Amino acid sequence: MVPRELYPTLALLVVLYLVVIAFSYWGVRRIRKGVNEKDMEVKRRLYELAILKEISDRTGYSLNIKKILDVIVGSLNQFLEYSAVSYMLLEPAKVIFKADLERSVAPHFIKEVRTRMLGSLSALLGKDLSQMEVEETITGAIMIDVTEEPVQSYFNIPLVIGGELVGVLTIAHTKAGLYKESEMEILYKIVNQASQAVTKLEEVVKTEQGKIAAMLESMLEGVVMTDREYHVIAANPASKLVIGYKGEGTPTIFDFIDTFKEVLDIRSKLEEAIMLDKIITVPEIFFGNKYYQIVVSPVKSNVGFTKGQTLGGVVIFHNITHEKEAEKMRNDFTSMMVHELRSPLGNIKKIGEMMRSSKVLEDRKATSEYVSMLYDSSSSMLDLVNDLLDVAKLEAGKFAIEKQHIDIKELLVERVKFYDTTARSAGINLKALEGNDLPNTVEADPSRIIQVMNNLLSNAFNHTRKGGTVTASCFVHKKGASMVDEAQAIAAPWRSEGMSLNGTTLATSVVIAVTDTGEGITEENLTRLFNKFTQFSSSVRSSEHKGTGLGLVIVKGIVETHGGFIGVGSKQGVGSTFYFTIPI
Amino acid sequence: MTKKILIIDDDRIFSKILRDGLIGGGAGKYEVFTAFDGDEGFEVASREKPDLIMLDMMMPKVTGIEFLKKWRAEEIGKNTPVIVETQLSDLEKMSEGVELGVRGYIIKSDYSLDTILRQVEDILK
Repeated sequence: MVPRELYPTLALLVVLYLVVIAFSYWGVRRIRKGVNEKDMEVKRRLYELAILKEISDRTGYSLNIKKILDVIVGSLNQFLEYSAVSYMLLEPAKVIFKADLERSVAPHFIKEVRTRMLGSLSALLGKDLSQMEVEETITGAIMIDVTEEPVQSYFNIPLVIGGELVGVLTIAHTKAGLYKESEMEILYKIVNQASQAVTKLEEVVKTEQGKIAAMLESMLEGVVMTDREYHVIAANPASKLVIGYKGEGTPTIFDFIDTFKEVLDIRSKLEEAIMLDKIITVPEIFFGNKYYQIVVSPVKSNVGFTKGQTLGGVVIFHNITHEKEAEKMRNDFTSMMVHELRSPLGNIKKIGEMMRSSKVLEDRKATSEYVSMLYDSSSSMLDLVNDLLDVAKLEAGKFAIEKQHIDIKELLVERVKFYDTTARSAGINLKALEGNDLPNTVEADPSRIIQVMNNLLSNAFNHTRKGGTVTASCFVHKKGASMVDEAQAIAAPWRSEGMSLNGTTLATSVVIAVTDTGEGITEENLTRLFNKFTQFSSSVRSSEHKGTGLGLVIVKGIVETHGGFIGVGSKQGVGSTFYFTIPI
Repeated sequence: MTKKILIIDDDRIFSKILRDGLIGGGAGKYEVFTAFDGDEGFEVASREKPDLIMLDMMMPKVTGIEFLKKWRAEEIGKNTPVIVETQLSDLEKMSEGVELGVRGYIIKSDYSLDTILRQVEDILK
């Protein structure tokens, strides 16, 4: 038996024991609860990871937000309870509304969700969307009219891509009191992560597109890209120039097909390239006064799961007009040289024919005529060959002159006398005008200066009709003075139209000029006169002007070797002035 | 009866050979005139009313085509037979001549005098 006096102690012990047990039980419960919570948390995290992985796997590199949202919506039921999950996306012309029903709900439930979502989207965007067309898709459980349950719980998450609101995601339930903000953390995370992924991917794509766009923009070749259905995806500015497209935005494939229909069937070339998977080159078409080489090629994907697939076609317009022009010039030059060599050769052959078969040799006078014709023909051939050699030397920088002290005035007067007979027989007036302050001598190569004067004078005669006038003049040009004024001072005619210099920038020098009253030269041709090849392009050298045209090229070379300048001015229908300077 | 032939060509040497060839080869059948550009050619043609014109296409000042257009516009020039002298490189311009009623072509450097004479004879027959 326990002594009575021990009762309180015992009672205390019992109480203490009970307290300890109670505390232990409570403690264990608390720990268990904590463990459970931790367990839940881990499970939730794992699920979160799983869902994120699934989202990223299933959407791949998709930029299509709808596709990504469909994946999210399809996976949510595994960890959240709801009657319906839906999303609403704002597109330029309409609003897309898609709801996935987890359980059957009444039509008015969907209607309410839709109204609420449209309301929050309007509020978030700060604009009225009530008039917008809504494209509605309902999936999952069927709708029934028997239940009347309204929306009791509702949670909205904005969808933001690249800092811009594009829509909202919503879960809704017929049960009340669900969806506290804190519980929706995971949903936020999922949506946020998906948005971030899309944003990043969009940025990468934009940067890449930007690079490609910048490259396309700056390309001189016209580039047009189409998809497999031949819709134009991209057309660079050069391609718009090719077809003369002045509208805003991208031209359609028909703009290209119609523009080229006379010369090339672009559509069938694209079809061929895409179907046969090969690059097609059209070496040359002539269109809109230009020559183009056209390359049509299939475009293939080289990344992602579409790798190797043909995505469409590309048409490249390469403007080859310059190459063609250069080629034409070279051909013209060659055929002109052949022509100029054939004429005297043909004549020499015919002279031989005549001397052999007819009575030329029996007649002393005829014989001497034919011998001098032989001499002239071979001389003109030799001149031509010498011209070619001169040009070759000029081009190689090996053109040499022998300078002497020469009386330029005397040289000119002598040339004018030489041409007197030509002038008389052609019925052309020939005048010589000299300034009175000319120096006694200048330093120059006399034979080369005579070559220049001959060239300018004979050109002038060739272009002046009967009754016209050729004036040779010679005067001193002072640095800074106007050459027009200086010419006027000795009453020399001067055609300054189109002259590149008025002389004020030239050093003090002797000016020798030849002015004719011929048909004149067009402004465009003035710039081409001294160029070896352009001389012969058909527009400059029409059949009316015989001769190689190498003369002026050589003349320019001679003058420049002397440190001088050669210039020309002309007025159509009035005449031309050619002048050159010899520095003093 | 002698036939009048007018040669319009700025190549004086070719012109002279052709003239001598026609006079010698034709044994007095032909009276030959020469002109060295289109303007002069028109003057001589108007004065002499030739039975045949031998025309160079590439001439300075007034070209062969210009001369021919002007000559065809004249009453007396409508039906004058014309032989065009050309170089191989001008063959593409032939169509222009056909429209103006050109009867024959000779390629200057390639055709021998004999060939040219035969062509002249054929046309004047």
